[in-house]
Amino acid sequence: MPIFTLFAKIYIYFSPRRRILYIATMLGIVASIFVFASIDLQEDIRSMLPDDNSEAALDFSLLQQAPFTRKVIINLSCGEDTGSSELLEAVDRLAEAMGPPFFTNVVTGPSGPDIWELFFWLMEKQPNLATAQDRKKIQHELTAEGVQRKLEEMYARLLSPEGSALKGLFRSDPLALRRIGLEKIQFMNIIPNIRIEDNHFISTDGKNALIIADTPVKITETGQARQLLSYFQKLVAAAVPRDIEISLISGHRYTLANTDTIQRDVIIILACSLLAMLTIFLLCLRTWGGLYVYLVPVSVFCIAAAGVSLIYETVSVVTIGFGAVLLGISVDFALHVYFAIRHKSSNPSRTIADVSRPLLFCGMTTLGAFSVLLFSSLPSQRQLAIFSIIGIGASMILSLITLPHLVGAKSKAPIPAKSAGGKRFKLASRWTVGAWLALLVICAWQGAKLNFDGDLRSINLVPEEIQAAEVKLRQTWGNFRGNAVIFTEGLDLQSALETNERLFDYLSPKIPAGKMVSLAPILPSLDTQHLNRRHWNEFWSEKKELTLRLLVQEGKVFGFSARAFEPFFKRLAQPSPPITAQNLRESGLAEIVDALIVNTDDKVKVLTLVPDVPEVAGLMDRRDKTLAGVRFVSQNRFSQIISRAIGQDFREFIAKASVVVCLLLGLLFRDIKKVLLALVPVVSGLLFVFGVMGGLGMGFNLFNVVAAILIIGLGVDYGILVVCKISEGSNLATEKAVFVSGLTTLAGFGALVMARHPALHSIGVTVLLGIAAAVPSALFVIPALYQKKYE
Amino acid sequence: MKRIIFIFLILLVPGGVFSSQPQKGQNSPEEKDRIFSQIAKAAIKVTSLESDFVQERHLSMLEDVLISRGRFYYKKQDRLRWELTKPVASGFAVSGKNAKRWDAKSGRTQTFEVYRVPFIKLFTDQVFAWATADFKQLKKNYKIKVLNNSPVDLKLVPIRSQEKKYLAHFRIAFTADASHVNTVEVHETGGDFTRIRFFNTIINTPLPNTLFD
Repeated sequence: MPIFTLFAKIYIYFSPRRRILYIATMLGIVASIFVFASIDLQEDIRSMLPDDNSEAALDFSLLQQAPFTRKVIINLSCGEDTGSSELLEAVDRLAEAMGPPFFTNVVTGPSGPDIWELFFWLMEKQPNLATAQDRKKIQHELTAEGVQRKLEEMYARLLSPEGSALKGLFRSDPLALRRIGLEKIQFMNIIPNIRIEDNHFISTDGKNALIIADTPVKITETGQARQLLSYFQKLVAAAVPRDIEISLISGHRYTLANTDTIQRDVIIILACSLLAMLTIFLLCLRTWGGLYVYLVPVSVFCIAAAGVSLIYETVSVVTIGFGAVLLGISVDFALHVYFAIRHKSSNPSRTIADVSRPLLFCGMTTLGAFSVLLFSSLPSQRQLAIFSIIGIGASMILSLITLPHLVGAKSKAPIPAKSAGGKRFKLASRWTVGAWLALLVICAWQGAKLNFDGDLRSINLVPEEIQAAEVKLRQTWGNFRGNAVIFTEGLDLQSALETNERLFDYLSPKIPAGKMVSLAPILPSLDTQHLNRRHWNEFWSEKKELTLRLLVQEGKVFGFSARAFEPFFKRLAQPSPPITAQNLRESGLAEIVDALIVNTDDKVKVLTLVPDVPEVAGLMDRRDKTLAGVRFVSQNRFSQIISRAIGQDFREFIAKASVVVCLLLGLLFRDIKKVLLALVPVVSGLLFVFGVMGGLGMGFNLFNVVAAILIIGLGVDYGILVVCKISEGSNLATEKAVFVSGLTTLAGFGALVMARHPALHSIGVTVLLGIAAAVPSALFVIPALYQKKYE
Repeated sequence: MKRIIFIFLILLVPGGVFSSQPQKGQNSPEEKDRIFSQIAKAAIKVTSLESDFVQERHLSMLEDVLISRGRFYYKKQDRLRWELTKPVASGFAVSGKNAKRWDAKSGRTQTFEVYRVPFIKLFTDQVFAWATADFKQLKKNYKIKVLNNSPVDLKLVPIRSQEKKYLAHFRIAFTADASHVNTVEVHETGGDFTRIRFFNTIINTPLPNTLFD
């Protein structure tokens, strides 16, 4: 086949022109090192989420609009010996210092003028808010007994120290109608364990205060995020006494923690894998030519990283971390070329022609397997695919074009045939096949337990410090960041509010009091308010005389003057303008209103917060058609969607990669039995991974999917090489090459297992398990099966 | 409201009876400081206090003066009990973060965390703050006039506009030996006022914690 002789011809062409080849290679590698050095590494969770129009992508974009998602939350906690006044002073000093360019809209308490003004504002707005149920309650209490009860309570409270302060309120609201507004405003309590003290957000125990701020710094901008945190630390040092503990929670901390960890991991992993490979080379190769083999993966790593950076604006640190894997793969081609040439150095061009056939197929199958990832909806998987494809391509070119000159030219003594493997790899075929089948059955049984893990937190590093801060925040303030969010959307605010009311009417009887945050009770649509007002006025026109009579008659008993409750009737006669989002903001609830109303380009979304529990999710699943446009989004449901997507992707990718690999194998061998034999390492590797992970209860995440593809690519390489060796009797030191390349691959992945970052660690574990099964099955099971089939 | 409640706290501070004739030179800053310092010194010595009281409420919404009687208890650092005996047996007690209020007529007793009832929270905060007689802070919020320096009689006029809406002024009169408050008067802007007179006051007597639980 001409393609296989092409490399022999290239070898012959460059033999007298080696210097040109070396210089060209060197220039390429040096250029890639320069590009690699200038790469902008980033850690962005979005790269791990679908960027298509899928349900997961839409849910993620909606989750970003949930309250507090993009906020910087600062908790100030004082000890037993620190008073609340000192705490509040520290809050004010810190909040005042927090300003541009890193912080904007710094909030330490309600924006309104006074909590009592809000209280009276609510009373003024009663006519707009009172529902039929509220009017029914009032009517029920408009009896001599009911009014007497109210006045008696009022009388008793006038005697207490608070009496003077409440006197005005009692005069204008003797029937305690204020409860209408108070009951409704409770649905706006976004932070469960909060209270207001001196216009500050204070925890129920009085020992914690909260600062909530916006920041223009994007969560993905690691450089600026670092500056932001460092700036904040300086502010804390200057403004906050040491006995007040500060914790800052924002996406920036996660990003930095992950980026720093991966960067540390990458350095350690690359150093360890390079060192491990060097050790393997020193033990197994022990020649100067081996050094060039060693340089191939190093060069390939730089070339692949540079290639990716030319295609993408930013490169994920996970991709670079994957470099260790690439080191392990790319060295395989170089090793096979090395062993082949060293073993048959009498005619290098002929050897290259011989070795290029299985190697090209190995490369093509690996590339084919990775190419299916190019169609992934996850940007991170696509970038990994590009990185791997460039790396594998570069490795093949370097191994088949440049390396033969370096290895061949220096080669003096061929490796004796016996050292290439042969007998020592042979085991009793019956036992081998039996043990292998038994292992596969056990793994298949355990593999059935494998779970797909869509929780993005499991592939992100959450340092203990941040974890502790999150726990403290939850314990102190309640789980206000963990609610599910229901989005009602409308072309304008009024239409969104109308749907929001229907949603509230549906959910409120079914969700315990205090567990739901909704604008519906306090900001009904203008139509509903108009209707409420009309009914309110009609109600009091009808009941006014009765009420006056009852108040005067029952009031005498307690010594109230005949005109004591004149302010109440004046208030009833006053017009009540409708509640709008704007005047709700001005009343002191701006932060909450802005958190629950989101304006997008052409639509308005109104948010309702509910507990993220299966019962509420079930309620939303069973909602009727009038709530069809409402969308329920939650972390739990999002994880389920991602889990399903990962499971689906996994099956799809495995199927596609298997088809591509089988087609290429069919093209190579044109023999179904050989194709099946070549697939033995793949099947062994995958089943072993599924079995061990399923058996140990490890979740299969999106990076494990990538690793599974890798097992297919690498496993089939071993299969191809061993089947070629056995069936064609080639004398290319294949077993040793497979053995050493398996060791180097394990060295690469073994290093990944040491990674602290969960994503890199999970890739390492998966491929380590897969290759640990694929290599022995290639070396022992294929020969055993081949023997049985062809004997 | 916070300011109105403020008045009730004063009863922790030693002082004297009302005098309609201010003494000469009593409003000089030095003299004021001396009086405040004297009150603060006495306040530090108070570890517990119990006293009967009569409260007169002169409210336009009522035909008659509303008179109530009761007993007040305070124990350092964070315990107090405000107990009405007539005309309605009711009251509240605070012990640290927890409080309870009761009403004998309805038979209801309600326990709660102090912060959940803003009135009681404000009241107790002020009482406990006054236990330290922090005149520095007081002077930020009130213009303090010494109406008489022996026995001490103070008139506090609010400075902050928010407070001025509801409170015209209040007066605090101390006993002749400056050991405790004798009378408190709260004058509201609308003309209503409340007077509380304390008597049978006992200072630093052991009070069981159960009184406040």
